[in-house]
Amino acid sequence: MIRHHATDETLLRYAAGQLPAGPARVIAVHLSGCPACRARVAAFEAVGGALLQQIDPAPMSPDAFAAALRAIEDTQESPGEPSAPPATAARASAKPIEGIELPEALRDCDVGPWRWIGIGMRASTITLPEDARARLTLLRVGPGRKLPEHGHFGTEFTQVLAGSFSDGYGRYTPGDLSEMGHDVEHQPIVDGEGECICLAALEGSMRLTGFFGRLIQPFVKL
Amino acid sequence: MIRPVVGGVEGIMNAFLEPARSKIANRSPSRRGALVTQFMQDDGAPDGGEMAELIRRVAEAQDRQAYARLYSYFAPRVTAFLRKSGLPANTAEEIAQDVMLAVWRKASYFDPAQAGVSTWIFTIARNQRIDHARRLKVAAAAQALPPDDEEVAPSGEAVLLVAEREASVRAALGALSDEQAAIVRLSFFSEKAHSEIARELNLPLGTVKSRVRLALGRLRALLEGQSS
Repeated sequence: MIRHHATDETLLRYAAGQLPAGPARVIAVHLSGCPACRARVAAFEAVGGALLQQIDPAPMSPDAFAAALRAIEDTQESPGEPSAPPATAARASAKPIEGIELPEALRDCDVGPWRWIGIGMRASTITLPEDARARLTLLRVGPGRKLPEHGHFGTEFTQVLAGSFSDGYGRYTPGDLSEMGHDVEHQPIVDGEGECICLAALEGSMRLTGFFGRLIQPFVKL
Repeated sequence: MIRPVVGGVEGIMNAFLEPARSKIANRSPSRRGALVTQFMQDDGAPDGGEMAELIRRVAEAQDRQAYARLYSYFAPRVTAFLRKSGLPANTAEEIAQDVMLAVWRKASYFDPAQAGVSTWIFTIARNQRIDHARRLKVAAAAQALPPDDEEVAPSGEAVLLVAEREASVRAALGALSDEQAAIVRLSFFSEKAHSEIARELNLPLGTVKSRVRLALGRLRALLEGQSS
């Protein structure tokens, strides 16, 4: 059961297509397992539909409609005979990474190898086809480990894929999303039963606090 | 005659609809007049049921008159929407043309049990805008957002629920204060996070956040009221 959801602001920005690529992927993973958040996205998309109808129409160039007609005459597909839906066939599957089955929403991404970032902590960098500079990280943290205490300059989106962790705001299990605003400092601790694998994206940059945090910051490119 | 042929989109549409006129020429003159003006009018906004019917006619019969009606209503609005999102006028029109072509090609995928027509077209425009931004960022062709792949058989009940949702979302938008509505609109037209919006409006972040929360909370309450 999912107890930690995305905020309305985030789902609104996702529905509007305004969330940066990295966080949008984390939200896509969360949505795939969360009917409640999917319903909220559908409502916010309806807000988009309503805004589209309310807007003052813009003038089009004089030949726009003629060009549109030529385009539909040229198109191979007729609307009555749908060809095979796109995307599914074309989507390459990412190479597997040890320890976890990658969510469907990340199948077209390039997943790097696990690298050591601290005792009991490994990370893998995920590169997105749509934005080479987007920052998306898989974190794999051993049981009982503390992540360095940190704050953020932006919002941190963390989706639990396996295992669980807790911080001052609650316990997060697979399917849960932790959304930490820029004004929050928190220190996640992985629960004792097993390692925890999370998908994390940051809008903005992380501000590690405490001695250990400042020490490892140069190495943790979240 | 019914209406003089004028320049611009309307003029071309008049020319385009010529076959339609001759087809209905045998009917009574008053009926003919009513039909043609119906196609010509842009300001008479079609309601949700009418729009879904137009999409169905495009999907099942490649009905170009139905398409013309959809085009005359949506193309200028999609263009306006994209321009408001920060795209230059010519790019906005190019993408709007792609969006309208997708409406033609994907008409049979439209599912009235998932969303209303304007919402469906909004999501197409949103995805095309994202794709456009990606093409600027990377040379390689990018994937669209993961498609909603739940196959839900459209039932009359589901279609009704969608229609209700669209109506109540509209009502809720209308009930927002000007400021709340402005904040919601900013979320659609700007990629800025609310913290940046707050800075720009010179409002404390907490104020913006609580106002957004209020506005969105109202929408959410409406939705949850329906699903129960």
